Amino acid sequence: MNKIKSFVTRLLKGMFNDQDKRELIEILTRSLEEKVDDLVEAGTPVQEAIKRSINEFGSSDDVLDAFPDKEKLRSKKIKSRFNKLIFALAAYLIVCALVLFVNYLFIDFFANYWWSGIVAIGALFWPLSMFYAYLKAKR
Amino acid sequence: MINSDVIRGHIDTIILKLLGEKDMYGYELSGEIKSRTNNKFDIKEATLYSVLSRLEQRELIASYMGEKSLGRQRRYYRITNLGRAYYKESLNEWRLLNEIMINTLGSDGS
Repeated sequence: MNKIKSFVTRLLKGMFNDQDKRELIEILTRSLEEKVDDLVEAGTPVQEAIKRSINEFGSSDDVLDAFPDKEKLRSKKIKSRFNKLIFALAAYLIVCALVLFVNYLFIDFFANYWWSGIVAIGALFWPLSMFYAYLKAKR
Repeated sequence: MINSDVIRGHIDTIILKLLGEKDMYGYELSGEIKSRTNNKFDIKEATLYSVLSRLEQRELIASYMGEKSLGRQRRYYRITNLGRAYYKESLNEWRLLNEIMINTLGSDGS
């Protein structure tokens, strides 16, 4: 049944604050498991019942449909901040790798100076600011 | 099939009404809605269960563990007194909306 819980957790990723999310995950998981039980009782094989329940369940937008617009907007904001954070982190890593590579390749030219470390620290402002923006939206 | 935007404001009322008749668990409620509306309102389970969680938080409904099935207990929902009061209010609101629509559009929309 862990398959169901991980499906629900993935569905709600980056939405709601932590406490609401915990409760919601619990309720959604339990209701889905009850559906699986019902299907199994009616003669559906377990694996097929799980698959069917997950397919018929709906999307994260359907979850948001259950909430008034204000809360919906808030959740959307949290989700978009979360995506921006992931983007910033990925971009940061790529930039660091590139700078490090150039630094390493021409290390003689740069008189053995590892300037890429300074760039890496300086560029940290991006993922860090996105992280704080995400925390602020989530609070 | 109805556009979900049109009916969204009334989902709470529908659920409170059904739970007022009989305690139900989540999937049972979903089946009940489907059968009563002749599949014209196919509420997504993702929406339904999330509404249940929201109504429970607002103490309009409460849940308890019910009978065992296949070794697992089901969680049943029942309406609270607060929920009944809220339902009456929503029902009056719905009647008003109904009246407004019929008075402006006519009962068959022509």
